[in-house]
Amino acid sequence: MNATRPAEVKRPVNVKRLQDLLQAAVELELATIPFYLCALYSLRPGSNDETGLIIRSVVVEEMLHMVLAANVLNAIGGEPRVIGAAHVPRYPHELPDGTVLDLLPFCPEGVEEFLKVENPQYPHKALDPGHPMVAGRRPKRHLARAASLMGAPTTIGAFYAEITDGLKGAAAALGERALFRGDPARQVTSEYYYAGGGSPLPVTDLASATGALTEIVDQGEGDLASMYDEDGDLGHYYRFNQLKYDRTYLPSDDAGAPTGPQVGVDFGAVYPMIANPRADDYADPELRAASDAVNRTWSRLLSDIEAAFNGRPEALLPAVPAMFKLRDQALVLLANPLPRGDGRHAGPTFEWMADH
Amino acid sequence: MTGASGAVDDGSAMDDTSYDVAIVGAGISGALIANRLTNAGLRVLVLEAGPATAWTFDGYAAHLDHFYEADGKGPESAWPPAAGAPQPDTADLRSGGGYFVQQGPDSYGSSYTRLLGGSTLHWLGVCLRMLPEDFELRSRYGVGRDWPLGYADLEPYYREAEWEVGVSADAADQSHLGIEFPDGYDYPMHALPPSYSDQVLGAAVDGMTVTLGGQPFALRVRGYPAARNSMPRDGYQPVGAVDERGEGQALARDLGQRCQGNTSCTPICPVQAKYNAQKSLAKADRRNLRVIPQAVAARVLADPVSGQVTGVEYQRYANPDSPRHTRAVARARCYVLAAHAVENAKLMLASGLGADSPVGEGLMDHPALYAWGLSPAPVGAYRGPLSTAGIDDLRGGAFRASHAAFRFDIGNDGWRATTGAPDTSVAAAVASLGMFGTRLRRHLEATLPRQVRFSVAVEQLPSPNNKVTIDPRYVDPLGNPRPVISYHVDDYPRAGMAAATDVYQRVFAQAGIEDRTDSGEGAWFPSLAYDGRVFHYHGMGHFAGTHTMGSSAAGSVVDADQRCWAHRNLFVVGSGSFPTMGTSNPTLTMAALSLRTADRMIKELTR
Repeated sequence: MNATRPAEVKRPVNVKRLQDLLQAAVELELATIPFYLCALYSLRPGSNDETGLIIRSVVVEEMLHMVLAANVLNAIGGEPRVIGAAHVPRYPHELPDGTVLDLLPFCPEGVEEFLKVENPQYPHKALDPGHPMVAGRRPKRHLARAASLMGAPTTIGAFYAEITDGLKGAAAALGERALFRGDPARQVTSEYYYAGGGSPLPVTDLASATGALTEIVDQGEGDLASMYDEDGDLGHYYRFNQLKYDRTYLPSDDAGAPTGPQVGVDFGAVYPMIANPRADDYADPELRAASDAVNRTWSRLLSDIEAAFNGRPEALLPAVPAMFKLRDQALVLLANPLPRGDGRHAGPTFEWMADH
Repeated sequence: MTGASGAVDDGSAMDDTSYDVAIVGAGISGALIANRLTNAGLRVLVLEAGPATAWTFDGYAAHLDHFYEADGKGPESAWPPAAGAPQPDTADLRSGGGYFVQQGPDSYGSSYTRLLGGSTLHWLGVCLRMLPEDFELRSRYGVGRDWPLGYADLEPYYREAEWEVGVSADAADQSHLGIEFPDGYDYPMHALPPSYSDQVLGAAVDGMTVTLGGQPFALRVRGYPAARNSMPRDGYQPVGAVDERGEGQALARDLGQRCQGNTSCTPICPVQAKYNAQKSLAKADRRNLRVIPQAVAARVLADPVSGQVTGVEYQRYANPDSPRHTRAVARARCYVLAAHAVENAKLMLASGLGADSPVGEGLMDHPALYAWGLSPAPVGAYRGPLSTAGIDDLRGGAFRASHAAFRFDIGNDGWRATTGAPDTSVAAAVASLGMFGTRLRRHLEATLPRQVRFSVAVEQLPSPNNKVTIDPRYVDPLGNPRPVISYHVDDYPRAGMAAATDVYQRVFAQAGIEDRTDSGEGAWFPSLAYDGRVFHYHGMGHFAGTHTMGSSAAGSVVDADQRCWAHRNLFVVGSGSFPTMGTSNPTLTMAALSLRTADRMIKELTR
């Protein structure tokens, strides 16, 4: 996720605040993952192939962004955290700019939410609490750490700009070596994480830190002057834009007017999951057990990721089979209508379970 | 085909004469040569007999669906042939029919695929080098013949092939049996992790010794080098799925950048984490490449006096289900036959090429046995790539003077290949043992994870009696000859089978594995007798021989550069050039030879 670069933010040098902001960045990127995975997993097998590729391509880059943010945090001596109720995102999840991430099946309203998250500068018909899609399913919003830290509503771009400017200021004030004092062995490199459109950069100094943060920002909407990033990949916003229009972009196309082949979006071939499901919604013991199974896998996965961010990058190796397990277990929920009889299906809740 | 793109076209602009090189066949040899030549600025035309259906991601997905829907899951189950480019099928031996005309006395049990990408679409991905001694069998052991080049000549090209194909292995682990790597060299990706089965067997077997020909050998379960994406070294970028399309974004390239352990390497890797030749073709310089799929080379035209090749006549069909076709001639300065060992020989014979040389003779395979048993403890069968390790310490040694060398592949797929398990295990428990419910479940849980399977690949030497010929009585729907195969498994591999059986039985005993090998299970596999014992063998898909290379025109078809002695602007490439094949699967050696040939061609054609 990301946004355009706002006006410069000047603050006094404060490494602790930089660490807090980078921890919030890790959580911010993490929060987008269940949001996109719900849409991806809700596609009925054998349908929406290209749609699935588009969502998948974004979600692996969001995972990359989380790794990059963790690398920057590690580089300045922080300890990235992604486990426990304090760090695992809950939904509906409110971002610093007021955007709300809902866990939704793949649907037109959900695509609007994707677009809003990937480019909050543009107007989008995002869901308000009264929309039938989420009515009664937004009991409480959970504020992102980034939102609490920033105090006032602020764009994601401003949030990342404060980090970048803060790193520059701190490097100037303290010296680069003193700021980037993290153990290089804690960096996650391309041996352990791979994502089509980019690869993790080990962060050891100001240049690599700003490079990592630029990658996070640029992969969202492409570079500012273009729909494409430096590698020639379409920005996330424009990738999702193709779902809205059910058309792919050709290189010659203007923003907002794709004219390529149809994507083949089929909103009908989707498991109609309830919005923002909670384990507490599942009174039926069998259903609850299926939900707990997903959450245990999710929690195990997060524990491995946290270990990987804290000196054991090889802990990411079991994350690959864990992702398959997560999908298969989530499909058990998604494929089944809820007993209450309104035709809606269960879905993964992505809640932390300490006893995984 | 859908979404045709890049350099793959519909062939509408035919008879273009501006090509430097025309290549017949878009399998691994043709793709590697096309890649290297186009990137050196040479203009290349590739004629592929089969369709290019796997070139686009949706096309590849359709092959995956074809596999899911197939009743049998053999190597060909994902890759149906076109009417105009028929291919052998491993099930043909069972039915007695098929593309090959089998003249006997023994059955040739292997198959290949005629599609863009060739048989690499369904290979296992093992990337063993040949041993230094494999190139010198005649000098060292008085059997077979020597190659006109040695291991040292090919070694730099093995390294290039390993990086081009993308092989996962650790050099330190592969340095044995005379194979050496230069200081500082390593494979582009780390070795794949051993399967649980590999670990369990390794713990039981490593260090045990067996004696063969009076010489002791210490055995070890060793990971196989694999053309399967693993963790990269030194900034190597693993290549994922091929997704060629004219318009839109090729997002499927994000897939397959690591092996996911789908356990269906053969017949189809769902995410293309395993190498296929399309990956190399996709890296060609498109400005200099034109690929015409569904274009069957029917005849190579040569000047009767000089021997110079002047063109390749081909038949192009628009509909893969129909033999209707048009004819055209492709012309270039230089020609490459890279159509497969059998197809190369067939095409040469049909064209009257190499008339005084042993075209078609020397056909080999690795006649292979299955051995299977029940481990005392679970080994985690049915998980991971189909095979990640083997016991290959008996690939070389003085015993080769009297019988064949061999190696054991260790399967990770239980008895799937041998008995049709797990389905047949369930059926047998229900029908024969009367089990159901909890008892059935407990029985399956207690047996399926303990299933162990070895494939025993046995070396075969070249013989002039083992050959591909053609006969005007046998033609395919386009009127092209079908391969007529004469094949005999003589005493050299038979004695190797006997020795290999003794060794696997010792290995099973050492590991406490209850031997459940039952020749009745594979009764349709052809059988052989040796010294009072009967062996059921199958093909490994390792075709070789047929246009063997030699150091002089006498007794060989091509030289060490794979250039045809009789037609100096014609290169005939692939495993057909192998004078002998040792015990390694042929692909990596074919790849190394192809890269070497490409370098020779560039040197000459860009002069």
